[in-house]
Amino acid sequence: MGDGFNTEDMLDVYLFENSQLLEQLQDIVLEQKDEACFDEDSVNEIFRTMHTIKGSSGVMMFENITEVSHKLEDIFFYLRESKPKNVPHLELVEHVLNVADFITNEMGKIQNGEIADGDTTEIMEKLDKFLDSIKGGKKSKEKVIKENVHEEPQQFYLAPMATSKSHFYKIYLTYQPEIQLANIHAYKMVYALKEIAEDILYFPEDIVSNELSADEILENGFKILLQTQSTEEDIRGIIQVGYDIEKVDIYECSAKEFQQGFDSVGSEIRIDLEGDFESIDKKEKSEEPKPVLKEKEPMAPGDFVIESKGPGKAKKLAKDKPRKSEKANFISVDVKKMDMLMDLIGELVISESVVLQNPDLKVPGLKLDNFNKAAGQMAKISTDLQNVIMSMRMMPLLNTFQKMNRIVFDVSRKLGKDIEFEMIGENTEVDKNIIEHISDPLMHLVRNAVDHGIEPNEERVAKGKVEKGKVTLSAKNESGKVWISVTDNGGGLNRDKIIAKAKKQGIWDYTRDEHSYTDKEIYQFITLPGFSTNENVTEYSGRGVGMDVVVSNIQAIGGTLEIESTPGEGSVMNLKIPTLAIIDGIVMEVGKSSFVIETGMVKEFVGLQENMLVQEPDGEEFVMIRGECFPVLRLGEWYNIRDYQVDLENCMLVIVEVEKKSFCLLVDRLRGKQEIVVKPIPDYIKKVKGLSGCTQLGDGSIALILDVAGMVE
Amino acid sequence: MSDFNTQKDKYVTFKSGHEYYGIKIQYVNEIIVYQEITEIPESESYIKGLINLRGKIIPVIDVRLRFKQEPIPYTDRTCIIVLNVDNTVVGLIVEKIAEVVEIQEENILPSPTIGNTDKPQNVFVQSIGKVGDSVKLLLDPEKLLNDEDKLLIESVNEEENTEEEGE
Repeated sequence: MGDGFNTEDMLDVYLFENSQLLEQLQDIVLEQKDEACFDEDSVNEIFRTMHTIKGSSGVMMFENITEVSHKLEDIFFYLRESKPKNVPHLELVEHVLNVADFITNEMGKIQNGEIADGDTTEIMEKLDKFLDSIKGGKKSKEKVIKENVHEEPQQFYLAPMATSKSHFYKIYLTYQPEIQLANIHAYKMVYALKEIAEDILYFPEDIVSNELSADEILENGFKILLQTQSTEEDIRGIIQVGYDIEKVDIYECSAKEFQQGFDSVGSEIRIDLEGDFESIDKKEKSEEPKPVLKEKEPMAPGDFVIESKGPGKAKKLAKDKPRKSEKANFISVDVKKMDMLMDLIGELVISESVVLQNPDLKVPGLKLDNFNKAAGQMAKISTDLQNVIMSMRMMPLLNTFQKMNRIVFDVSRKLGKDIEFEMIGENTEVDKNIIEHISDPLMHLVRNAVDHGIEPNEERVAKGKVEKGKVTLSAKNESGKVWISVTDNGGGLNRDKIIAKAKKQGIWDYTRDEHSYTDKEIYQFITLPGFSTNENVTEYSGRGVGMDVVVSNIQAIGGTLEIESTPGEGSVMNLKIPTLAIIDGIVMEVGKSSFVIETGMVKEFVGLQENMLVQEPDGEEFVMIRGECFPVLRLGEWYNIRDYQVDLENCMLVIVEVEKKSFCLLVDRLRGKQEIVVKPIPDYIKKVKGLSGCTQLGDGSIALILDVAGMVE
Repeated sequence: MSDFNTQKDKYVTFKSGHEYYGIKIQYVNEIIVYQEITEIPESESYIKGLINLRGKIIPVIDVRLRFKQEPIPYTDRTCIIVLNVDNTVVGLIVEKIAEVVEIQEENILPSPTIGNTDKPQNVFVQSIGKVGDSVKLLLDPEKLLNDEDKLLIESVNEEENTEEEGE
């Protein structure tokens, strides 16, 4: 307790924050990997991210992370300030990703209580080389960059003082008092000045987000600090006295005044500015370390000052996009607690129906008007509660998909293939549980698509296809299932090759004619353990462990994998995964057992007449409905249920459709439509064909969920 | 540790037929009265089905059927002992709960092997505890739940696999 720090907590926060930063970083990088270079915002963002990571790692004494992030920060610092041309963009992207990987790896070690001992030598060498290469011959800069090394791991902001050609101006704009939305006019001006600006600061700074700033501007004028290579005339050319601007005052000032921000500019009027006290405070606080650092570094053109965060913030705004919309507030909660909450709510719903349908209420002559009103209200609340907890578990697939983006990038770079990655429906929300389970299988599939699916560039050209390969990852929610597919426009699966391999491995059934196998059946071979058609084992795939793991992982969460492929045009891997959450189901009864079928599967209900049934000699039954013939499956017989309805007149036919196949289920009666929470059948009981789970109904009894697709098989 | 110590040597005993059986109390989560069971088709006869235990769905087995004895109709004395063995939660339907007894280790004898192996329930009896003049058959919960089932499940899986490959 003596040191006053809870390092455990600090470490947690450190790891959490950094992993989020790194994720953001990757997103930015991958988003722009195909551009010619990073845009200004991204450079700034990456710089800031690295800076933050460096700072916090420094505090936590993880030296290797600090070192690496610092080096990358240097690179982006250089990019930001010197805007060098001809930066090998892809190489840069790779460097950033490497650093991100390195840090992630180290953080993984820290998380597991190990020592972050990763060796930085190699990565540092590469980064150094890269930095040197983009710097070219500009020796003068190098010295300057080195000084950056002295930076403390605190939130300092590095402000450029640019070259000797730069001029610094203070610009005061006075707007016509009758102007509406003066803040927008002011922003227009700032925007125009950005064209020539090397750096720009303005006050009030919140002109975009704060409408009240319009009044401030009208009252006190709009102040701009500008660093530019242009002359005063040029500026006057941009800022013209017109219908909106009443007066323009431009003064040239020194670099020192400029970097002091508005301390000097706005000092005489700051007192009466609303909401500015805070920033004054901040500035005063941040002033403390400033003088020391400043003395160390005498001001000279081409040099840098280390400026504290207060004024820097205003600066940062200057070149930013309009502020991003409010960030969502997140807390992370143990999934176990969520599960507990969900169970409890499930119980609540059940006990609610026990209360509301209590036999005691059935006493004749009881006046229940008020009770029913209250009951209705309660039912509404509990439904809402259920919906909320369900939505809490739902997460968009976005993050998972973005990880795939990274994989496509890495693998395609290494293999020298030019591949485009497209995401469709990345905002599809699925249960968190599912997300955790599909990440690995998806990775495999995507990797396969890039490695095996897409042909090498030359081959594509030879075939007359577009040179750029394309991998598409798409997701959608349909009839209670998540469909995720990985599509590539590569060569497709080679049927003959698979057959040959199957024969070689001894899994081929020689009693069957080769042509009697459907394509689908053939493709299923590649999901068997140890099966790989790729002769050459590559770094990424081809060892034959993969597809079987993918399939077993997907099956573990009740999903299926389907393979479609057109030779020469590519293949599609379709994952179908049931959402573990709530499904809309039809409850029906056979004997004393209740069954549920997903509403989406049911086509229609038909009351049965004896003469509708046609029995074939081999015992199979069919039913004719409006000229169409459907096979009939008596659920009671199928599962050997006792006391099921034998009098067909009282039975109900449920026509279900799955994968374009229709058939009828014969059940005793229907009980109604209900939203149900799917629960797995306990592992203790071995898997029963055609059952995919169970659920509790409103009265607390248990119904079994029918897996219609499973029954078809 | 104190928990463990208070539970040491204690057994939940129940009556089935003429015999009394005991299960180590550590394995027992709770004892509930008999409740409606949802049958599961195509499962072993002794697996009676599923019950809803306050939102948790757990399988239940009938101890008499497990011992391959004639089932006895359920009455209001019928209880379900909820067992937790290696995180598998299973309900055990018993005719009647007897009591919780303490049986010191020195009063526990290995189960006699002579001539008794043909009786199916003896597979599950781990040892025999003496309480005064009476004798309790102490069950091995793991065997009760798994053992042959596990083998069975594995063999079923294998069958399935071979079927698939054959297709």
